[in-house]
Amino acid sequence: MSVSAGRRFLLRLLTLLRSRRAEDNLAREIDAHLQLLADKFMAQGMTAGEARRAALRSFGNVAHHKDLTRDMWTFPSLDSIRQDIRYALRTLRRSPGFSVVAIGVLALGIAGNTAMFSLLDAVRLRALPYPDAEQLVVLWGNVMRTKLERRGASYPDFLDWRAQATTFDGMAAGDETRMTLSGRGDASRILVETVSASYFPLLRATPAIGRTFDANEDVVPEKIAVVVLSDAFWRRELGGDPQIVSQPLVLDARPYTVIGIMPPGFRGVGDRADAWIPFVMSNSAQGLAQRGSRGFQVLARLKSGMSRPQAQAEMDAISRRLEQAYPETNEKRGVEVAPLDEELLGEFRPALRALMIAVAFVLLIACANVANLLLARSEARQREIAVRTAMGAGWPRLLRQLVTESCVFTGIAAALGVGLAAVGLGLLLRTSPVTFPSFVHPHVDVRTASFTIALSFIVGTLLGLAPAMHSRVARLSDALKESARGSVGRRARFVRSALVMSEVSLAVLLLVGAALMIRTVQQLVAVDPGFDPDRVLTARVSIPRSASDPSSTGAAPLVVSARTLLDRVRALPGVTGASLVSDPPLSGLDSAVFYTAEGQGVSSAQTMPRAYVHRALPDFFTTMGIPIRYGRTFLDSELAPASGVVIASEQVVTRFWPGQDPIGKRIKLGPLASTNPWLTIVGVVREVKYRGLPENPTADPDLYFPFIDRSQQVSLVIRTATNPVGLIGSVRQVIREVDPGIPVFGVFTMSERIADQTAQSRFTTWVLAAFAAIALVLSAIGIYGVMSYLVAQRTREVGIRIALGATRRQIVRLIVGRGTLLVGSGIVAGAAASIALQGVMSRLLFQVSILDGATIAAIGVLAATGVLACYVPALRAARVDPLVALRAE
Amino acid sequence: MSSKDNTVELLQGTLDLIVLRALTTMGSLHAYALAERLAQVSDHPLSLNQGTLYPALVRLEQRGWIKGTWQKTANNRDAKFYSITKAGERALAKQTERWRRLSGLVDKLLLES
Repeated sequence: MSVSAGRRFLLRLLTLLRSRRAEDNLAREIDAHLQLLADKFMAQGMTAGEARRAALRSFGNVAHHKDLTRDMWTFPSLDSIRQDIRYALRTLRRSPGFSVVAIGVLALGIAGNTAMFSLLDAVRLRALPYPDAEQLVVLWGNVMRTKLERRGASYPDFLDWRAQATTFDGMAAGDETRMTLSGRGDASRILVETVSASYFPLLRATPAIGRTFDANEDVVPEKIAVVVLSDAFWRRELGGDPQIVSQPLVLDARPYTVIGIMPPGFRGVGDRADAWIPFVMSNSAQGLAQRGSRGFQVLARLKSGMSRPQAQAEMDAISRRLEQAYPETNEKRGVEVAPLDEELLGEFRPALRALMIAVAFVLLIACANVANLLLARSEARQREIAVRTAMGAGWPRLLRQLVTESCVFTGIAAALGVGLAAVGLGLLLRTSPVTFPSFVHPHVDVRTASFTIALSFIVGTLLGLAPAMHSRVARLSDALKESARGSVGRRARFVRSALVMSEVSLAVLLLVGAALMIRTVQQLVAVDPGFDPDRVLTARVSIPRSASDPSSTGAAPLVVSARTLLDRVRALPGVTGASLVSDPPLSGLDSAVFYTAEGQGVSSAQTMPRAYVHRALPDFFTTMGIPIRYGRTFLDSELAPASGVVIASEQVVTRFWPGQDPIGKRIKLGPLASTNPWLTIVGVVREVKYRGLPENPTADPDLYFPFIDRSQQVSLVIRTATNPVGLIGSVRQVIREVDPGIPVFGVFTMSERIADQTAQSRFTTWVLAAFAAIALVLSAIGIYGVMSYLVAQRTREVGIRIALGATRRQIVRLIVGRGTLLVGSGIVAGAAASIALQGVMSRLLFQVSILDGATIAAIGVLAATGVLACYVPALRAARVDPLVALRAE
Repeated sequence: MSSKDNTVELLQGTLDLIVLRALTTMGSLHAYALAERLAQVSDHPLSLNQGTLYPALVRLEQRGWIKGTWQKTANNRDAKFYSITKAGERALAKQTERWRRLSGLVDKLLLES
């Protein structure tokens, strides 16, 4: 027996770790032994020198025997495991084809699981970039209407919550707005979070330079214009100049003193802030005093040891007190305490969980395939195993060897799989239409690799057990007899058939899942948004006010009229129509109002009609392709502040005046008692998916008011003759020509905005389809393998049949029939299981049922693939030469 | 390990059996005495360097089948004396039975069929 260099090295290492005592003991024992031998030789008459040499001769190479003895010192189990590993590697080398297929299939499955686990791990709770993130919650001001709806908070409510609540460590108001940065080259729009002073300590965020807001800057009437900058913005726009602190920065034509710079990576809860200003700067003192004006988020941190239900109970009590104190504004108003991580990452989780389950299925299929290969091989090894048993290898020892063997190659597969996962994950993220938050970095690391290692050992053990269970039945006498195949063979066939059936069932589940997702995406894309999104470009502009006379009360005039910009854009070649609107569809800029329809009586907080309002030029509807159902669009003469006209969407009519002519009916904003003027409906347009696809978040209708050329924030909607992307440059150009101080931003084609709405479903579909394709291929390989095995086993039988006059066609039918039975029963089981799928996937699906044509087609594809996989072995069987077959044994 | 025609190569696992057997019949022995004993009882010279015993002794001791203690020999030298344990006796009985079955089977296969 030769000791390999590597093993010798390992032994040396182990020896180092052991006490010197064993080593000394051994030397002493061998010395004594040699002495005794020498004594004997001297007694026979040799000289001391001769006796010593003779003793050494008869003892043998001392160093070599010491080596072999040291071998025995290692923990016995460790030692034999090493032996098993060596043996396993040898077995793998002996059948390279088997090894490559088995390792390849497993590596694929493990890679998929590692990649998906990395994704899921990246959106776990601890992904939030804040210390003790599990204590962070968002407080939503909920309202009970026909169903519970989430709203923001109002400033007076927020102050009461903060004063009365005891379960929180801190509470901060926060909102997001865009502001124009000027005075430094071209004006640009930046994203600003308006936040309470407590916001930064709450998130445990400290500035890299300077300070954040103090309590003085958080008080309502004392408006102190200060700003904290994000690291990225500071480097991008200000060249990373630390001297900027205490210097002014002009935002929305007002100087703000820079007081601090946040560290890199801190982008605020919204994950995209360029800067932060005090919350009280976001509105006038009067605006902040309105308890009924709700719209911002409240961030809070639970006191350590406080649970969310405790906080919820306290907030419920506070809301009830506020409801009694201010019934006017707080009727049916509650507070929802929602975990922050769910708010930020929750949207990704259901899809990733579903994908994780899917990829686990893929791994199971891969395992079934490899188990089948192992089973086939273990049959070839029956005799070897039986002989080993006879030679005294115990049952546990054999089991351990089989498990070690399969662990060795799952180990190799895992190593390959981790590499594959790292590459695949990168590829997946690059091609993904879903953008993850900036602090989410899915990658393969120690955590995910340890997941993989654990996984591969579980898989290895299970795979090792399969052939072991089956060897157990083998009896020595049977195995040593050349032709004893009866009972063992039948049992093995059953196990293998069962494996293939489960493979097929799992593949059915995956294919049906993929088919459901594909149909979902088709349905989503086919959703009629209510307008025509093709060849439409939208762009937002923010027109600055001229800073000529800062002392005068009231707003200064705009530097240019939005109509002027529109005229320039209309004149561009390739533009077939253009219009102005306060907010384009799917832009997320909605604002809602309550209104009252004439003659409808008083309504409660739950039923008070609410609508989303937009201001538009007369040609907005034709430009966007929104059909007018009744009446007309605005007249140019109505584009004035108190024109008293409104255009409503169809729902207003169906709710209040069904079957009547709506033109000339009147509504007013606010409750019936309000002093707002009555507005006459001059037109009714089609209901539009203005705020979300496939459905608006709430079913409220839209109200359109005449566009007044006074607003700073305007959106251009431009219909073009060709691909609108080509016009983006020239639109920016003409606006810059009018005034370089007008920032153009939020430039999207309508198709892009729609694609954004379906991004996550498309991502899920894409990945799931890839998994399903792998599953299909793997199960085809599995079916093929089992049928080939079957044919090989039945060669003699087939030979006899042919000899007795069976035609080739009959033989093919026999084999394919058996395969079809296998595939068929797998499909039936899988189809039954996929009925449960619809429930599991319900959050991901849109308007599809399990009985969709696509799912049936998916099952058909699998059935066809399965039968095809049976055909090749069947044809091989049909070519059996009866003479050869009968001679074979 | 080279094998000559006139030596019997030990099958793996049989050396353990032989050592256990020697220790039951002879009582406690040190490695040298054990080697001499083995040479004595076998008509054929076993292809056994005396050093070959050591891995087997360590193996058996680690399994708890034999136990070694340092004692003085008759001519007053230090040596490690091994004796069989209760577990060793049980193992010997079991292994012997197993060996009988196997050798019977091998005999049958080789000589009768």
